[in-house]
Amino acid sequence: MQLGFYIDQSRCIGCHTCAVACKDWHDIPAGAVNWRRVVTIEKGQYPAVFVAFLSLSCLHCAEPACMSVCPIDAIEKRECDGIVVVNQEACLGKDACGVCQEACPWGMPQFGTEPDAKMQKCHFCIDRWSERRKPICVEACPVWALDAGPLDELESRHGVLREVDGLKYDERNRPSVIFKAREPELLKLPPS
Amino acid sequence: MLKVHVANGKILRIETDDGNAPQLRACLRGRAYRQRVYSADRLQYPMKRTGERGEGKFERTSWDEAQDTIAKELVRIRDTYGNASIMYIPGAGSQAALHGAQAVERLLAKFGGYTRFWGVPSFEGALFASMASYGTMMTGNDREDLLNSKLIIMWGWNPAVTIWDTGTIPTLIKAKEKGVRIVCIDPRLTESVAVLGNEWIPIRPSTDAAMLIAMAYVMIERKLQDQKFLDTYTVGFDRFRDYVMGTEDNISKTPAWAEAITGVPQATIERLALEYATTKPAALIPGWGPARMSLGEQFSRAAIVLACMTGNVGIEGGYAGGFMRAFHSREMGMPRGIRNPVEVGSSYRPNSLYKLRGAGHPTAARVHAVKIHDAILQGKAGGYPCDPKMAYIVASSYPNSYPNINKAIAALKSLEFVVVHEQRMTPGAKFADVLLPVNTFMEREDVISPWLGSPYLLHMDKAIDSIYECKTDRDICDELATRLGITDYREGHIDEEWLKLIAEASGDVQDYDEFKKKGVLKLKKERPFVAFREQIDDPNNNPFPTFSGKAEIYSEHIAEMNNPMLPPAPKYIPAPEGYGDPLSQKYPLQLMSTHHKPATHSSLEKVPWLEEVEPRRLWVNAVDAKARGISDGDEVLVFNDRGKILMKTKVTERIMPGVVNLCQGGWFDISEDGIDLGACANTLVTDEHSPGGAWSTNTVLVEVKKA
Repeated sequence: MQLGFYIDQSRCIGCHTCAVACKDWHDIPAGAVNWRRVVTIEKGQYPAVFVAFLSLSCLHCAEPACMSVCPIDAIEKRECDGIVVVNQEACLGKDACGVCQEACPWGMPQFGTEPDAKMQKCHFCIDRWSERRKPICVEACPVWALDAGPLDELESRHGVLREVDGLKYDERNRPSVIFKAREPELLKLPPS
Repeated sequence: MLKVHVANGKILRIETDDGNAPQLRACLRGRAYRQRVYSADRLQYPMKRTGERGEGKFERTSWDEAQDTIAKELVRIRDTYGNASIMYIPGAGSQAALHGAQAVERLLAKFGGYTRFWGVPSFEGALFASMASYGTMMTGNDREDLLNSKLIIMWGWNPAVTIWDTGTIPTLIKAKEKGVRIVCIDPRLTESVAVLGNEWIPIRPSTDAAMLIAMAYVMIERKLQDQKFLDTYTVGFDRFRDYVMGTEDNISKTPAWAEAITGVPQATIERLALEYATTKPAALIPGWGPARMSLGEQFSRAAIVLACMTGNVGIEGGYAGGFMRAFHSREMGMPRGIRNPVEVGSSYRPNSLYKLRGAGHPTAARVHAVKIHDAILQGKAGGYPCDPKMAYIVASSYPNSYPNINKAIAALKSLEFVVVHEQRMTPGAKFADVLLPVNTFMEREDVISPWLGSPYLLHMDKAIDSIYECKTDRDICDELATRLGITDYREGHIDEEWLKLIAEASGDVQDYDEFKKKGVLKLKKERPFVAFREQIDDPNNNPFPTFSGKAEIYSEHIAEMNNPMLPPAPKYIPAPEGYGDPLSQKYPLQLMSTHHKPATHSSLEKVPWLEEVEPRRLWVNAVDAKARGISDGDEVLVFNDRGKILMKTKVTERIMPGVVNLCQGGWFDISEDGIDLGACANTLVTDEHSPGGAWSTNTVLVEVKKA
């Protein structure tokens, strides 16, 4: 079984509630580490402008590059649910290693600013999932733009769109995420 | 709705509603609140000033000494200058029923009175229009009624950031997904436009009324107005039509006329007019923002006229405009206290709708909120009703959220005594002589109803005890009352009893203990609340609460004021410091100060999780940036005659050329050479207001240059 995320870009208002809720739940200070982050995409020229937002975390890839480059196998993909987790005790840390961050197309493995910081990233709220609760970001979203669960179930509910403005599908890693896109209607100016 | 995890008296985490639909999911501001409660700048104990006023130098004092000093000064100032010289400056720091600013108001009323202000920054233009046209502020429809619309016109309305009661944005998204067309009119491509808009129509700030009036022209010229509706339910359309068509002043208010003013192509104006006139039901939602300008009520009144002309008032899927409260959950609050003795017997304020009940505060004994500093500096000699000698500031960010910061600083320095109740060391707190630490809503119990009238009530349980030496405003005032010889400050009930009385008085809470246990009461109703449904369904038995009993396109009450800047039927009048003002030769850019995504005015500044969401930047269109040699991220000086701000820019295609935006709420930090380093928009905003009381927040002219 593979868990994954559904991200509805057509609904996302870029409010960052998911990211703030993530930081509160996991007690991560403001600063370098953002297990979930929200980016703004702006295209076009006034007055034909497209703006969309994209909330992203670790995408728990089918073939995670971070895992394959880790020199000491500190990164594991759980067989039972496909969640990618890091063993922080084994991790060599940013100063000695840090190759996982570079290997990830989206830089999701992250390190704090403290000396010898160990890798950290979204672990799908494993603590909540074990209590059959969805990740905090999903339950926080004020516009129901996020969902999480078995990827096949998400696909049967929401389709199989694999890329969207702000995220290009990566054949090698095969991220466990599907999307709904924001239509670029604001790029088309009405006839005058 | 917030669910707070607590262990050993400490807040650990915050979750939101995960219960039955509709879930009341909190926004980012609530989710970050733990960092505000435990922020490093929380006030921990009472303090007294040691340095110059405003310098921010204090020393710790005891509650007893602090209270004795305040009581002594209150008595001295009252006995020397009279009660009117006590300037009471409340704010919206608490919106709940029991705690917050009103604690002080009740104390000062029992102490013989005070001077307060009128003119609420958020909505005074919309309120004036709502009262003048409909005689009420209950002019909104339920959120879910938006699903009944075929067209939604969001005019200067950005609920993706301003929230407008939890549930508004999810409902708009549902409407869009259902196929409802949504047109957004805004000088900026906001988050709401980005997600909801089928079309974005940028418009110059302060010119919205001109576009609405030109839309009326298109409808009248093609005889598309709902004449039966106008004849049955309104008065004064003929007068408005004479102005629109040019019969009155020989100027036809055509789309071409409006294009020159608004910057909106005439074809767009014409197309939207036809679409609104022929798509029914349609909801034109006039936000409060476009009315925050120097003639703000004209926009709100013009939008109401269009709702009437298209017959979209009182029907499902339509929208009446106006103040837009949808009133089925009753507002909760303390019963009215004794009337402020200073205001008893005073005359009516000019330009006030004094004949209407609930139309703001028509007493001439009040000072307009933006004029507080001027009143302090000039007093009665400047035409104000009082000579302020002290300020009592509570649950308020005065002066940070008030225009013309530099004048405000001079005013505060001129007073004899300043007392501030605060939670953190804000720019305003630094001006206190005595500074008292107040607890947050997580440290006390309260009840609250959503202020725009969504169908739920909340019981706000106490999550933790007050931290440090913080107290509630009510406890502080009770202790002051004893010193002032006022008995029974709490009026016969302890706070817990008041909460039960208040909740039960709402009529919606049948079992208070159950309400308290659950924390939320979601009200069920048979059909959506639609403002004026009764008036439209059965006009003979249900008049509008106006003098004529009809919606007033032309207002005799306003006509009696005889003020050319406040016409009895809405008009476009070039706004002071708006587009086309001669001052634009010197300061060519129109500054708006809108709401900030991770902020509630100034109250959530310096909360790290929110600060990192979006830094304050001056939005500048690429064309204006290029003309000034400015690149994205550059430091610039934003300035006019009132002040200077040094800050970074965001060069973007998302704002109209000629317009810059700086979200309000930054904490001002004036350097020794007089430059604000805190990006507080109010450093530049004018302390003038519209005749109806609207703040001029979005009619400000500035120039920008590379620093």
